[in-house]
Amino acid sequence: MAEVTLDRDAADAMGGRSLWQRLQTNRNWLGFWFMLPAAGFLILFLAYPLVLGVWLSFTDTRVGRAGEWIGFENYAWLWDDSVFWLSVFNTMLYTVVASIIKFAVGLYLALLLNRHMPFKAIIRAVVLIPFIVPTVLSAVAFWWIFDTQFSILTWMLQKVGFIADSFQINWLGDATMARASVIFANIWRGVPFIAITLLAGLQTVPASLYEAAVIDGATRWQMFRYITYPLLTPIIAVVMTFSVLFTFTDFQLIWVLTRGGPFNTTHLMATLSYQRAILGGYLGEGAAIATAMIPFLLAAILVSWFGLQRRKWQHGEGND
Amino acid sequence: MTEATQPLSKADYREGFEYLETRLSRLVTLWLPLGIILIVLIFPFYWMALTSIKPDQELINLQSTNPLWTWNPTLKHLRVLLFETAYPTWLWNTMMVAISATILSLIASVLAAYAIVRIRYRGANWVGGAIFLAYLVPPSILFIPLATVVYQYGLFDTPFALILTYPTILIPFSTWLLMGYFKTIPFELEECALIDGANRWQILIKIILPLAIPGLISAFIFCFTLCWNEFIYALTFISNVNNKTVPVAIVTNFTDGDVYRWGSIMAGALVGSLPLVILYAFFVEHYVAAMTGAVKE
Repeated sequence: MAEVTLDRDAADAMGGRSLWQRLQTNRNWLGFWFMLPAAGFLILFLAYPLVLGVWLSFTDTRVGRAGEWIGFENYAWLWDDSVFWLSVFNTMLYTVVASIIKFAVGLYLALLLNRHMPFKAIIRAVVLIPFIVPTVLSAVAFWWIFDTQFSILTWMLQKVGFIADSFQINWLGDATMARASVIFANIWRGVPFIAITLLAGLQTVPASLYEAAVIDGATRWQMFRYITYPLLTPIIAVVMTFSVLFTFTDFQLIWVLTRGGPFNTTHLMATLSYQRAILGGYLGEGAAIATAMIPFLLAAILVSWFGLQRRKWQHGEGND
Repeated sequence: MTEATQPLSKADYREGFEYLETRLSRLVTLWLPLGIILIVLIFPFYWMALTSIKPDQELINLQSTNPLWTWNPTLKHLRVLLFETAYPTWLWNTMMVAISATILSLIASVLAAYAIVRIRYRGANWVGGAIFLAYLVPPSILFIPLATVVYQYGLFDTPFALILTYPTILIPFSTWLLMGYFKTIPFELEECALIDGANRWQILIKIILPLAIPGLISAFIFCFTLCWNEFIYALTFISNVNNKTVPVAIVTNFTDGDVYRWGSIMAGALVGSLPLVILYAFFVEHYVAAMTGAVKE
């Protein structure tokens, strides 16, 4: 396809246009053809569905039945729906708690890995494995670890003497325990990504800064606070934006471990919208729940944007 | 002379301030926390592997033998998995979908990234930004409208539903990654080729792509991993058992009524993870480059 255009452009060019004009048409037309496949996919299967989703949220579409415009009825319905508000609360709790702990553990792990040690490459490779293995498959392992009757965790706690021998912990059946369990699984899955990306950031911090700090008598904490942290801020901003974004829209872990139960106490907005739209058949209502997530995502994107801006400013780069 | 300078320069290159630490403090501040974190990160996989080779009676009896080890390994669960379920079909489906979607995405991304970085048509910066934004649109807000779109196009319950929708996740990421890569290739090489009469297509195929092979490998394996990992689209768009992918089938097709066949589920999870882990073992550096590259750019 591109070949054909090029030839046509070349033919145009021979028609005696000025060099400057030829360059212009060449460039833009070439750009257009090169962008076509990517743009096709993204418009057909991303931009269009995004708009369609917002539109669906204003209709009473069901599976197998085209909907009609009903204005804000879905949203009004959700406003009075305690399960929806519970899912909003759960999503917030899940995102905030998991992100904070992921960041703390991830940064700590990155600092550990940045130290000089034997077998560093192997240790780093092992750390990344939870990120490589498909989430659903590791979630299935957690499902089995959190089993009510045959949980290895319960067995371990019994052997250590932490709980009585006959006592069983209902990992996924009790509201508080279920929340803690899914948050733990999410942290487990997210820490490697944060640790490895922050490690890459740490490796760009010049060693001479630390040497200077040591000569000036700085403590370990001061070195972290006044050298490592400020230099790492831009990459932290980006990594945490991604982390928050993916935690907020998480679906897989919850669906495998609890399906939103017990009594909707672990339902996130994503799982609730799946349940209402696909299992319940109320596409309009599900789309309204999904649309309600967009403001939060925009907030996360803005944070990312300002993080990136700050990075450029620090590096003294132009607008590239 | 060389023997005298060798130890000195080695000491010079030692990172950090290791010499200020005693062995004990190093044990407490480095190896102990690192060991605990590594054990927690690896334990689920150990438990997965162990469960898949344990006989059934040991799985449901933690008291009589030590559950952290087994002396009677069995391949029964694996046999059940491979010969009594449709697991090979699911594995094949996953592989096909992942490879097709990855190749489609890479072709689209190479063209797009090259156009944005090097052809620099009018609005190229703007398009680059838009692609970055597309990367931030999560599947969980798209799957409902996409389900209706897929249904309208008549793709519902076919592998094409996945092959054509996965690129929306992959293209933004790999375009962004390849843009970073193409920027590092010297402009002069292209100018030389242009002077010699090559057109843009020839430049891309004969000059840029061979130089960008490490970037292409990074993008390929990362996209492949993302495809293998994808769940919500596969769960929504596929209902026929024979069209399912491994992650979906593991969750939905392994119960006999109320009884979970844990041994086979774990064997399935293990076998389903192996291709990625093997790929990962060979290309660790590319993975890390892809991960950190996408964030740094």
